Amino acid sequence: MHTKTTLRLLTLGTTLFAGIACADPLKVALVETLSGPSAATGQMFRAATRFQIERLNAEGGWNGEPIQLLEFDSQGTPAGASEKLKAAIGSGAQMIVQGASSVAAGQITEDVRKYNLRNKGKEVVFLNVGGEALELTGSKCHFYHFRFNGNAPIRVKTLVAAMKEAGTLGSNVYSMNQNYSWGLDMEKSITENATAGGYQLVGKSLHDTQKVQDFSPYIARIQASGAQTVLTGNWGNDLLLLMKASRAAGLKLRFGTAFLDQPGNLANAGDVALGHYVSHPFNIEAAGEQGEKFASEYQAKTGHLPAYIEPQTVFALQLVGNVLKKLPAEDGRLNTRSFALALEKASDRNPLGDVRMRAEDHQLLMPFVVSVVSKEARYKVDGTDMGFVPIKSFSADEAAAPVQDACRMQRPE
Amino acid sequence: MEFLTVSLLNGVIYGLLLFMVSAGLTLIFGMMGVLNFAHASFYMVGAYLAYTLQKFVGFTTAVLLSTVLVGLLGVIVERFFLRRVHKHGHAHELLLTFGLTFIIAELIKLFYGNFSVEYRVPEFLNFAAFQVFSTDYPFYRLLMGGVSLLVFGLIYLLLTRTRVGIVVRAAIHRPQMAEALGHNVPLVFMAVFGIGAALAGLAGALAGAFYTTNPNMALELGVIVFVVVVVGGLGSMAGAMIASLLIGLISSFAVGVDLSLASLLGLVGAGDWAQQMGGLMTLKVSSVAATIPFALMLLILLIRPSGLMGEKG
Amino acid sequence: MKLTKILLAMLLLALLVLPAILPPAMVNAAIQMLIAALFACAFNLLCGQGGMLSFGHAAYFGVGSFATLHAMSALNGQGLLPTPLLPLIGAMGGFICGLCAGWFATKRAGVYFSMITLALAELLHSLAPHLNTLFGGEAGISSMRAPAWGLDFGDATQVYYLTLGWVVLSIALLYAFTLTPMGRLTFALRENGHRLQFLGYNVHRLRVLVFALSAMFAGIAGGLQALNLESANYVLFDMRFSAEVVLNTYIGGVNVFLGPVLGAALMTFFGNAASDLTQSWLLYQGLLFVLVMMFMPSGLAGLVLCWSAQIRRRGWLAMVPAAFSALLSAGLLSLAVVFLIETLQRVFSQDYQALLMADQAWPAISLFGREWLPGALLTWATPLLLGVAGLLVLKLARRQWLRLLDDEPQVSAAALRPRLEGEQP
Repeated sequence: MHTKTTLRLLTLGTTLFAGIACADPLKVALVETLSGPSAATGQMFRAATRFQIERLNAEGGWNGEPIQLLEFDSQGTPAGASEKLKAAIGSGAQMIVQGASSVAAGQITEDVRKYNLRNKGKEVVFLNVGGEALELTGSKCHFYHFRFNGNAPIRVKTLVAAMKEAGTLGSNVYSMNQNYSWGLDMEKSITENATAGGYQLVGKSLHDTQKVQDFSPYIARIQASGAQTVLTGNWGNDLLLLMKASRAAGLKLRFGTAFLDQPGNLANAGDVALGHYVSHPFNIEAAGEQGEKFASEYQAKTGHLPAYIEPQTVFALQLVGNVLKKLPAEDGRLNTRSFALALEKASDRNPLGDVRMRAEDHQLLMPFVVSVVSKEARYKVDGTDMGFVPIKSFSADEAAAPVQDACRMQRPE
Repeated sequence: MEFLTVSLLNGVIYGLLLFMVSAGLTLIFGMMGVLNFAHASFYMVGAYLAYTLQKFVGFTTAVLLSTVLVGLLGVIVERFFLRRVHKHGHAHELLLTFGLTFIIAELIKLFYGNFSVEYRVPEFLNFAAFQVFSTDYPFYRLLMGGVSLLVFGLIYLLLTRTRVGIVVRAAIHRPQMAEALGHNVPLVFMAVFGIGAALAGLAGALAGAFYTTNPNMALELGVIVFVVVVVGGLGSMAGAMIASLLIGLISSFAVGVDLSLASLLGLVGAGDWAQQMGGLMTLKVSSVAATIPFALMLLILLIRPSGLMGEKG
Repeated sequence: MKLTKILLAMLLLALLVLPAILPPAMVNAAIQMLIAALFACAFNLLCGQGGMLSFGHAAYFGVGSFATLHAMSALNGQGLLPTPLLPLIGAMGGFICGLCAGWFATKRAGVYFSMITLALAELLHSLAPHLNTLFGGEAGISSMRAPAWGLDFGDATQVYYLTLGWVVLSIALLYAFTLTPMGRLTFALRENGHRLQFLGYNVHRLRVLVFALSAMFAGIAGGLQALNLESANYVLFDMRFSAEVVLNTYIGGVNVFLGPVLGAALMTFFGNAASDLTQSWLLYQGLLFVLVMMFMPSGLAGLVLCWSAQIRRRGWLAMVPAAFSALLSAGLLSLAVVFLIETLQRVFSQDYQALLMADQAWPAISLFGREWLPGALLTWATPLLLGVAGLLVLKLARRQWLRLLDDEPQVSAAALRPRLEGEQP
């Protein structure tokens, strides 16, 4: 609390005395859900962002000054995100980092685009480290938005390929998803991957997000369809309750998920989670020596191993840091246009493999891992005796999904 | 057939669980006119307390102890908070309970963190009771339903066959008269509030193990409980039971119904037009299963506002 | 009265020069405060004046927002409705929606009315994400403010003045409404609807009209929000916003016209400021609600009126001791509570728990610029002592206040004499 207050007072002071300072330190603003129902994920994004910014500052910051991290609580609503974005820009931030909510990401990306249109020469860059909605690199894509995480097609493609290879995909697959854009994206991808995966989609369901307590009717439907595998993009309670309901009904279903590695899931599910699959951007076991080094460094700083969305955030800011190192200051400030031009062609190596930014839609092409929940894992999760054992890694190119037609990016010039 | 049976069973059990939580609320409302927003929070506190105590005293004792503790919490809330605000009117009481909801949820997040906790059904209760068309039916579900029925029976007997019950019912209908006759109505209020809270706590302690225990439990259950209370009739236990079962069954069955207005219109030949219209027309019943209780509540409020079993006026 | 008018004029002046003295971040916060104030004032028309507690008022705010956005995209600032006049569409949307909803809702009274409004709002909230053309799914609709009247509305200051203009106009209209015969009838609705019916008025129609008017002004507030954020999302229909406006109104005080305005402005500011300072700000907000409901039932405005009545009677100087002790006790108690909560929050946080190791002393936590050890007595004694001190000063303040109330100026014997007919008092 003290650090934040000082930072805010500092930035307020800096804004008021703008003109007098010659070299402006680079300000990165985290506009995140830090309170309210989804605060848990937002706080993880914050932890990861703090970690990497501190690392970058230990390596020298930018332009001889440490990078300042400003934190704003969007309270989980798009209106809050919009408001805090304005406050962030008003405090002099040139980069915005956000990840916990696709809805907030949609709001922020639109607001950033409009701001940039109205304020040529003072553009801000939106670093999207968690919003997985397809439209962010589709119909809503614009030059100053960069996505550093996956999306539905990537998750499904990798899941299907890995499970098919492991022989656990079966020939009858059921699609269970939440009834909003993410779930709809997942359902579409699951349908499209049927031929590649060699399965038949025997049924699909969409349910109200975070409202259903009792999933047994859905389990009854799954059973009636004869499916052996369920592919789902559900997260949080929806995933947990689904798995628990299937176990309670005694059904031997295999789940392929996108968010099983959210902290708390394994603890709550217990043995119910064993044998199910998740497609995620990082697994310490799959990343070899480098991965272990990163994990122990992270644990030393934050007190827990990097999990869920933290690795992708750290690597995103690592890539940003690499680009910044090669970028000199112009009039003491960062030229965000040059930064964006450099970032869209950037490439790097994270512990899992090569990554590079795709200039057509500003989607990062990154390696993905599919893991299975097992007691044999080296790194146990949530204080249980289970963890995620990687079964197949995909390089950036293997995991990539094609550029969407809907993205018509207007480039500056 | 299979779908019917399973949905029936699940709907009934879910309904019985809802009843346990809403029984207290409907009594409290019927008696004090206070719509207690914090009731769902008592449910959540019950789950968390049981989770904490389970590590020390074992499951059954933890559940019983947490019930008692939540009952005490209810008594404290009534005695020290609500009673103060009673004279300022219903809106103030309501808003007070609303503020309490916030406080309880945030305190839980403060002590237990934002993620769900590891509160699970203990091994000795985690088996299948019987098989329904080749799916297991967990015993724990039956246990929850059984406890709910037991509670209903006990409370019904208490209210209709004992002296205390008569006093309570009198206090519900005519509090001033009951007080004039010499009964300690404030004590009755406090006791009913406490018992209502205890019931919610019991429901939480049991359900939290089966479903998930997380800080958003109260939000998830909160509004549905109001729907149950309104549909059943404010103040009527039998009404709460019927409404809970109704809503439980609807939620269960609606999930399997893939019909939409468009398919209905298709029967009269306007299907294609409806499909083109999109929006409300193509909305499938299954994807809005959780919304139907609200539509039901609206219907009841407009047609028969005192609820299914409540008294008119 | 004169003092009130002077104060209002000063406030208006301050609001007019606000963008010149405050940084842009504060201007944005001010816009939010203005919109919340208008929303609360509109709500109070229904709740405080009409006596109908609606739990789903965010629905009309949201409808106003979406209507304005659709107009923004469709009209693009040209034609009949340039950008500054767009909130009129919000008003229309709110009015029509309010008419329809109000017609149903006002058929019942009391708690049933509240439940109907709640059900309507929740229905809308559940259905909205599925109606993509109207509400844009869960991504919502977004648009851009088009330039009009020589201004480009790209700058926050221009949006601020637009919002200020509309809010002042709307609140003035709402106040004027209370002075009209229909406004007086609204008060009568709250007091005794039955009697009104016997006097020959069609109470149901009256209620619907009041509901629709309240929804109309809520729609204007929604329209202003749409202009400010240039987007709207189905999340606007969430119960949280309906509850927020109820809380803001009651904290401000329902019986005073400007009460809700004060409550909304303060709570919005509090939310804005506190959310960036601490993680447990919702807890503080909840505590604030409960304390206000318990100890200040007539809200902040009621408190202000109470004190100003005493000031009028006894003069400013007499109030100083009581005011000082009240502020001091409030400060001490707040400090104690904040200290305790922040300490507990840090001790129980996941990051801290991960650092704990068995058989070792718990590491220190940093708070207010110092390091505090959880094992040390000082860490727990500080809030305890502060709290005790605060309670003692509170007792003192209460005693001083009661003394002020009891200390009636002596009534002269002449005034006590029964008056004969025709005699001057």
